[in-house]
Amino acid sequence: MRWLFVVLAAYILLISIVSLLSTRCTPEIWGYFLVEDGGNYPITHWENVIGRSRSADINIPLKTMSGNHAILSRKSEDKWVIKDLGSRNGTVVNGFPLEPGRRYLVSPGDEIVMGGVHSTVAPASLEESRNNEVMRRMDKVPVAPWKILLAITLFQLLTIVQLVIGLGENITVGAVLCIILLSVVMWTYVTVFKAMGRKGFEMEMIAFFMSTINLAVTASFDPGAVVKEFVALMLGLGLMIFMCYYLQDLDRTRKLKPTLIILSAILLILNLVLGKATFGATNWIEIGSYTFQPSEIVKLAFICIGASTLEDLYDKNNTIVYAGFSLFCLACLALMSDFGTALIFFATYLVVSFLRSGDFSRLIFTGAGAGAMGLMILKFKPYIASRFDAWGNVWDPQYIDSIGYQQTRTMAFGAGGGLLGLGAGNGSLKYVGASNTDLVFGFVMEEWGFIIAVLLVLCLITLTIFAVMSIVAGRSTFYTICACGAATMFLMQTILNVFGAVDLFPLTGVTFPFVSTGGTSLLTSWAMLAYFKAADMRRDASLAVRKEV
Amino acid sequence: MRKQERRAWLCLSLALLLFVGICIFGVRFVRDGGKWASFYGNTQIYTDGLINRGTFTDRYDEVLMECTDEGVVYNGNSSIRKATVHAVGDPEGNIASGAISIYRSQLIGYDLLNGTYDTSKAGKKVKLTIDAEANEAAYYALGGRTGAVGVYNWKTGEILCMVSTPSFDPAGYLPADDDSSYYFNNFIDGAMTPGSTFKLVTSAAVIETLSNRDSYSFECDGVNEYEGTEFNDISGHGTVNFRDALAVSCNGAFGDLTRKVGAKALEEYTRKAGLMEPLKFDGITTASGSFSFPSDDNIKLSWAGIGQADDLVNPCEMMVYMGAIANGGEAVQPTLIKSATFIKELTGGKSLGRYLDEDTANELRSMMKNNVVENYGEDNFYGFDIYAKTGTAQTGSWNPDAWFVGFTDGEESPYAFVVWIKEGGHGADAAAPVVRTVLNQLEADKEYSE
Repeated sequence: MRWLFVVLAAYILLISIVSLLSTRCTPEIWGYFLVEDGGNYPITHWENVIGRSRSADINIPLKTMSGNHAILSRKSEDKWVIKDLGSRNGTVVNGFPLEPGRRYLVSPGDEIVMGGVHSTVAPASLEESRNNEVMRRMDKVPVAPWKILLAITLFQLLTIVQLVIGLGENITVGAVLCIILLSVVMWTYVTVFKAMGRKGFEMEMIAFFMSTINLAVTASFDPGAVVKEFVALMLGLGLMIFMCYYLQDLDRTRKLKPTLIILSAILLILNLVLGKATFGATNWIEIGSYTFQPSEIVKLAFICIGASTLEDLYDKNNTIVYAGFSLFCLACLALMSDFGTALIFFATYLVVSFLRSGDFSRLIFTGAGAGAMGLMILKFKPYIASRFDAWGNVWDPQYIDSIGYQQTRTMAFGAGGGLLGLGAGNGSLKYVGASNTDLVFGFVMEEWGFIIAVLLVLCLITLTIFAVMSIVAGRSTFYTICACGAATMFLMQTILNVFGAVDLFPLTGVTFPFVSTGGTSLLTSWAMLAYFKAADMRRDASLAVRKEV
Repeated sequence: MRKQERRAWLCLSLALLLFVGICIFGVRFVRDGGKWASFYGNTQIYTDGLINRGTFTDRYDEVLMECTDEGVVYNGNSSIRKATVHAVGDPEGNIASGAISIYRSQLIGYDLLNGTYDTSKAGKKVKLTIDAEANEAAYYALGGRTGAVGVYNWKTGEILCMVSTPSFDPAGYLPADDDSSYYFNNFIDGAMTPGSTFKLVTSAAVIETLSNRDSYSFECDGVNEYEGTEFNDISGHGTVNFRDALAVSCNGAFGDLTRKVGAKALEEYTRKAGLMEPLKFDGITTASGSFSFPSDDNIKLSWAGIGQADDLVNPCEMMVYMGAIANGGEAVQPTLIKSATFIKELTGGKSLGRYLDEDTANELRSMMKNNVVENYGEDNFYGFDIYAKTGTAQTGSWNPDAWFVGFTDGEESPYAFVVWIKEGGHGADAAAPVVRTVLNQLEADKEYSE
C-alpha cells in the first residue's frame, strides 16, 4: 500500500509536470505592423514596444528611431492605442504629432511616422489567421485529465482506508466525507469546464492532489478540523473561478487596483487594531469561533497591485504607488512581528519591481537596505536573533531541545518515514507544535515519505517554470507579472517553510502552499492559482483566458 | 514584453535556490537519516527516553541486551553483563562508544527506503562480534583490577573480546556521575604509558633506518649511565645484540638505539604505526596516543624510545599495530558488528593501509617469536603460535602497569591482542596469564559452536 501511494503520486504529478513543462505555444497573431520598404512584423502580444533596441518587440533597427520609441497596445479587433515614450524624433499619426506620454487611438490603415519611418497597423488577414490557427493546432495539447482524475480518486480512496487504519476510532465521519466530497468536486469541476471547451487542467490536478495531502495531514493532526479545512478549500476554489473570469478582461482588472489597495490597507489596519486588542502582536483576526489571517488575503491583492500593463510601466506614478503600498504592507507585517510573511512580501516586491524596471542595481540596493533593516530587527528582537544563532547548529546539545526542538524533531521523524513513509495517521511528529503548518514538510516526510514530500516541492517549482515560460506568448505584461509574482510568493513560502523546518534557514513559521493546514492559507493558495491560469496561453486551455471565437 | 521575458530569470533563480536546497537536504537525508531517525527525540522508537525495540547478541547469538516497550532486558548472568557492558553500552548513553549509542539505527532497523517502518515494532537483531564468554573470562582474569583487554581477528577485523574495568552491572544500580570511571572504556578511550611494549615501535624504526643493526651490540651493566642519567635494568644483561635487547627488554640498549635512530625517525614510525591519530571504525573514535620526541634532549628522547617519558598509547591502536605486524605490515580496521555474509571471512576486513614494510613486519615477527621462546615460555600458550612483547610501565605509583601485547598466527586463530592492567606489576607475570585465559576461552567457545 505504501508503494501504491508513492507510485500513484509519482504518476499524477509527473504526468502533470511533464505536460506543463513540455508546453510550447505558438504565439497568437493579433495583427501586422507594416513598415514602408521594411517588411511586416507580426504582432504577437497585446502590448508591444516599438524601437531600435534589440529588446523591443517590434525591432526597427534605424538610427532615427529611439531605443524604446513607442508602445502599441491592442484594445480590440480594430482599435489600437499608441503612446510615444518621449522619443527623440517624435511620433506622427496621420500628420498629427503626438504628445509624449499620452495615448492616442489608431485604427488599422492609419499612417504612423516614427523618426521618418512610415508604417501602419494592419489587421491579421483571414488567411494569415488561419495559418496561425493551424500552427497553434499543431502545438502540444494539454494532457487529457481523465486518467489523472482516476489516479487521484484512487489515491483519495486509499488515503481514507489508510487513515481509518492509522487513526483507528479517532477518525471522524466528517473527515472521511470531506475527502470523498473533494473527489466529487474535482470530477464536477473538470467535467463542467471540459464541457465548456477548456482543455488544460494540470495545475488544478496538482492543486487537488496537494489538497488531498492537506486534508490527510489535517485529519491525522485533528480529524475534527477537516470540515473547516474543506470549507476553506471550497471557498478558495470558488474565488479562483471568479478571479479567472474577472482576469479575462484586462481593463476591468486594471481599474480594480485602487479598490484593492484601499481594501488591503483596511484589512491590514484592522488586523493591527483587532490583533493588538486581543492577543498582542499577532497576525490573526478572530470572528466568532473562526480565525483568519488577513495578510494571506492581502497576498492576492499585492500581486495584482504590483502587476501592470506595458503602458503603465512607463508611468512613474504607477511605480511610486506600488512602492508605497509595498512599504505600507511591510510596515504592518513588521508591527505584527510576522517577519516570515514580511520576507515573502519583500521578495515578491523585489522580483516584481525588477520585472517592471529591469533595474538590477536598484534591486541590489533595495536588497542591501533590507538586509540592514534585518540586522536592526535582530538587534531588537532577541528571539529572532537566537533563531539565527541556532541556524545550522540545531543538533548542538545547546539547542537540540530548546530553540532547535522543532527542527530536530522534523528531521528525526521525517527520517523515520524513510522514502515511503509510515502511512497517514501513523506519524508522531503531530505531537510537536505547529507540525501541521510550519513543519508540514516533516509531517509529509514522516507519514507519506521523502519521495512524495519532494514531489510536492517539485510541483511548485514546475508552476514557476510554467509561469516564466508563458511570458513568450503572453498577451499583456499584466498577466505575466501576475504569474511571476504569484510564483515568487509560492516559491518563497516553500523555501522558508521547507528550509526552516530542516535547518537550511532559521525557522520562520510560514505555510507550505496548499499543504499546510490553515483555512486562509489554503483558500489563498487556490485563489493564487488564478494568476497562473491567466498566463496559460495554450489554445483553449485556461478558463482565465477568453476563448477565441 | 521581450524585456520582461528576459528579466524573468530572477524568478527562475529562486526556483533554482529551492531546487538546490532540496538537493542539499536530500544528500543529508541519505547520509544522516539513520542518525536522525535514531535520535532520542523520535518518540516512535523511544519510550520514556529508552529505545523500545531491537536486540544485541554476541557472535554466538547469546542475547546481551533486548530493548522492549517495557524497558531494557539484559543477559541473565551478572558477570556477563559486567564483562560486556562497555561493548553493549548503557541505556542512558553514558558509555559513549557503547553499541546502543553507536548502532542505534541498525538496532531500530532503520533503512533509507522504509525509515523506521516496522509493523511488528520488534526492531532488529544486531549481532556483535564479541564472544560473551571470553569477555567474562577476561573480566574474571582481571580480578577486580583496573584494566583493559582487547582481542581481534587481524584478518577480518572482528573484535572478539573487549573488556574494560572497573565495570558495573547495567541491570543494577548505575553510577550517578556521568563522568564516573565506570563508564570509561579504557580500551577505546584510554591512553596509557606503554612501557616496553613501545619498543616494538622503536624496533621498527631501528630495522628500517639502521642497516648495520646485525652487528649492533651493547654492554649492559644494569645501570647504563648516560650523561649522568641511569637507564636501569633489573640486572645487567651483559653483551646484547639488537635481537636480544628486545627479548630481554634492555632499557640501556634501547636508550642507545633510540639516540642512534633520532627523534625524527622515531616520530615518523610512531605515526606510521597509527598511534598518533585517533582510530575510527563503525562510528567509534578511539583516543589517540600522545608523545614528545625532543631532538634537543637526548635523555628525554631515550626514555621516549623505551616507552616512558610523555608516551601515552591507546590500547585499541596498539592492538591494531600488533595486527599489522601479524598481517605482513598491513593493518585491518576493527569492527564490532558481525556481518551476515561470509564474504568478509574470505576477503578479509577493511584495510587501514600499510603500517610497515613487509620485511620489517617479518623481522619484528621473528623477534617477537624469539621473545616468547626465550623469555615468556611457549608452553604457557600451548596450542597457539604466539608472538608477543611484555611491558612494565613506570607511572610513578608504587606498582607499575602491566602490559602484554602481540598476536597469534594460524588459519583458525589469527588473533591480535592487548592487555593492560593498572598497577598490575610485571607484564609477564600479571598480563600474560590474562591473554592465555582469554585465548583458551575463545578456542573453547569456537569448538563448542562447531
